[in-house]
Formats: sequence, C-alpha cells, structure tokens
Amino acid sequence: MFTKSLVGTLCVLCLFIGATAAAVESLTPMETVRERIDQVIEILNDPAGADPEQRVAQRTRLWQIASPMFDFVEISRRTVGPKWQAFSDIEKERFVEVFTEFLSNTYLDRMQGEYQNEKIEYLQELVREPLALVRTKLVREGAEMPIDYRLRQTDGVWKVYDILVENGISIVQNYRVQFQSILQKESPSDLIQRLEVRLKEQSPSRTQP
Amino acid sequence: MKHNAFAAAFLTLALFALLAGCANSRSASPVDAVAPPPLQTQPLETQSEASDASAAMALEDDAWLENDWGWDEDGAADFYVVPDPLEKFNRVMFVFNDKLYFWVLKPVAQGYRFVVPRPARSGISNFFHNLGAPVRIVNNILQGKGQAAEAEVAKFLYNSTVGVLGFGNPARTIEGLNPDRTDLGITLGRYGIGNGFYLVWPVLGPSTLRDSVGNFGDSWLKPTMYLDPSEVFLALAGLDIINATSFRIGDYESLKSAALDPYQSLRDGYIQLRQSKLK
Repeated sequence: MFTKSLVGTLCVLCLFIGATAAAVESLTPMETVRERIDQVIEILNDPAGADPEQRVAQRTRLWQIASPMFDFVEISRRTVGPKWQAFSDIEKERFVEVFTEFLSNTYLDRMQGEYQNEKIEYLQELVREPLALVRTKLVREGAEMPIDYRLRQTDGVWKVYDILVENGISIVQNYRVQFQSILQKESPSDLIQRLEVRLKEQSPSRTQP
Repeated sequence: MKHNAFAAAFLTLALFALLAGCANSRSASPVDAVAPPPLQTQPLETQSEASDASAAMALEDDAWLENDWGWDEDGAADFYVVPDPLEKFNRVMFVFNDKLYFWVLKPVAQGYRFVVPRPARSGISNFFHNLGAPVRIVNNILQGKGQAAEAEVAKFLYNSTVGVLGFGNPARTIEGLNPDRTDLGITLGRYGIGNGFYLVWPVLGPSTLRDSVGNFGDSWLKPTMYLDPSEVFLALAGLDIINATSFRIGDYESLKSAALDPYQSLRDGYIQLRQSKLK
C-alpha cells in the first residue's frame, strides 16, 4: 500500500517535473515577453511602489523579473558592432557588466518615474528560427506607442536582443551609432570609462525619491 | 503671401537640382539596410488595426525578420546612416533647441497642460491633423497610392463634418480610413532621392536636406499658410507646437538621459524613423 502510493507520488512528481521542463522549453517568443512584461506591469501597478521608501525594493524586484528576458551579452556585442573584436576578454566582460547596469538604471528609472496605468497589447509574433519578432503596443490614455521586441533563440530559450520603438527605431542601433563614433577616436577602455562616469552621474538621482 | 509663390517654386526647383546631385554622390550604404514594415505612427487618439495582417503584409514581415542588419563576426553588415557634414552647425542648433525646450517650450506646455483639459487638447490635435489632409492627399497621389488618397479625402470630409471642423476624429474607428501618414519628404524618397545630409533647424528640429525641401513644398498645401495677417499663421503654428508638446513632456528628457551623446541619439532616431516610413 505504502509503496504503491509512493510510486504513484513519484509518477505524479515525474509528470509534473516533465511538464514544467517542457513548459519552460516551449515558451514561444510572445509568451517569453508576455510572461515578464505582465509581471513588470503588475509590480508597477502595486500602489505600495509609489512610496519612496519602497522604491529601491521595487526597483530590485523589477530588475529580477525583467532581466532574464534579455541577452545582455548579445545586446553588448551588437551595440559595439565590428569593434567588439578589439575588446579583450576582460574588457568584454566589464563592458557587458557596465552597459547592463547603465541600461537597467536608465529604463527602470523611466518605468518607475513615468508609469501611469499603461497597458500593453500583444499584437503579433513572427518567428523564423532562430530569430523572432514580437509586436506590442503600449497604450497610455489615448496615446499609444508601438514597441517591438527582437528575440533570438539559443539552446531552446528565446531572449530579447533588441527593442524597436515607433515601428522602426532600433535601440541597439541607436547606441551603436553613439559607441562607434566614440570607438573611432578612443579605446574600448575609454568607452567603458565613459559609461562608468554616466553610471556615477545616474546614481544620485536613483537614491533620491 | 501669394506673390511669393513663383519665387518659392523656383527655389524648390533649384533645391531639387541640388538634391539630385546629392543623390548621385550618396554614400554606399544600402537604403534597404534597415527595413521595418510600414505601419503608421498614428495621430493621437486613434486606434490601429495592426492585428489584421494580410498576406502581403506577412511577406513584408518576413523581409523584416531577414533584414536584421545582422551582426556577424566580421561585422560585414552595416546600417543606414546619413552624412552630417554640417555637424558643427547642427550641434549649435541642437543646443539652441535644447534650451528652447527646457526654458520656454516645456514650461509653457506644462502650464498649458494644467489649464487646458485633455479632451480640448485632443480636439486641437485632431484639428491640426485634419488641416494636414491636403498634404497627405496630394502626396499619396504623387506616390501612386490611389486608395490611400481616397481614404484621406473621405476621412477629411467625414471629420470636417461629423467631426465638427476636424476637432473630433470619428473616422479613427472606421476601418480603411486611416492610411499611413505621408509627406513630400517620403514622396521624394520613394522617387529615389536620397536624404542628402542631416540638418537641424531651429524650432523645427531634426531634418535632412530632402525632408527640408519636402517640408517647404508641403507648406504650400497647408491652409494656415494663406491666412492674413501672417501673425495668425505664427500664432496657430505656435499653438500646434505647444499642444503637441503637452502630450510628450518627458519623452525628450528620457531620450537625453538614455544617451551617451544625445545629439547622435536624436539624429539616428530621426533617420531610423524616416527610413521606416519609406518601407
């Protein structure tokens, strides 16, 4: 009797684990984006987040939820472009680290500062493995802005490597133009240093409510 | 104002000739490098019907996915840029516009937003959008887009009557009556004329040589241009700018804080946006 129920439990457990694994693996590009964005919106909707005391905690939670959606190494490579080859391994690592922090500061600040009951509409998903495009629309009291996510599949997992706003402005390209002009005159470590300086400039505004 | 028409036509022609020259010497970057599909940037208070993707649309979407100006190991793929030989001048204009925004436009628009309720501001936005109908109709015809031109005519008539002089936008919910926005800069682009070079105008902001010519040409199709005295035109233009800004306070600040070089970020954003409308 006991063994029977144990076997039964094990079977159920196996099924459950199998199902979870399959579910994680088979997340479509749109599901990948939706899963994260919906949670982000939920946190932003929480009135507790408006409390300045809670801001830092809210920010940490937002980052925990949003960051796994992105492939920051790929984003870094693409924003730097061909000059990526000129980066040493340590510089690459440091750049990814600093640029990731820069992006998170910039966009989380913006989200926390400007969120006013926006809604996201998920419009369409275009897949051509290993690339995909998820089209969404941000709706804010009458005004709306198309936001599209470019994803890439690695080892069965979709991750965002670029965001397009207004149907065509690539964020990655926008940074790439800026980085390339810096890298034409300066070394990779200079670029990293510039980002570090900007990070320092950002941090005071971050701690203030 | 009308006696200037001949001079204007002549100037436009001269600029065309200049542009044609520029088009020939344009940089090797393929225009197709960035190829997002044509989806309109709607005027405020409109709804998009983006979900009804037709078969033709799907083809374009495929093209878009492919045109992922991809990064590869040797960095062969490149993206579309426009030359900026007047960068020094443009940067001065950029700083001027930056100050103009923070010192004048933003405070005025904030006060205006506080005083004028949102429905009224939306109405004014609709009104100015409706006045732009002749520009869109003519340019759709010039681009051979008969259906879009017809839609613009129908939308103009509908919004001007049912929508009370265009303050309302009842056409926004009607399918097929909301074609992509267009202008002479896009028409010229479709004719194969290149951007020439990047240009920042005081007050008007980012543009290119081609888009400036387009803007100038389009201005003759704007009803407010023919108002007498011209102070009325200036007042209306000012209202249009302040009203539009009242919906976008914070956007420019975001762009600035997200950039390492806001000038380059804005330039690239403008170029990418215009490029996407050409597709």
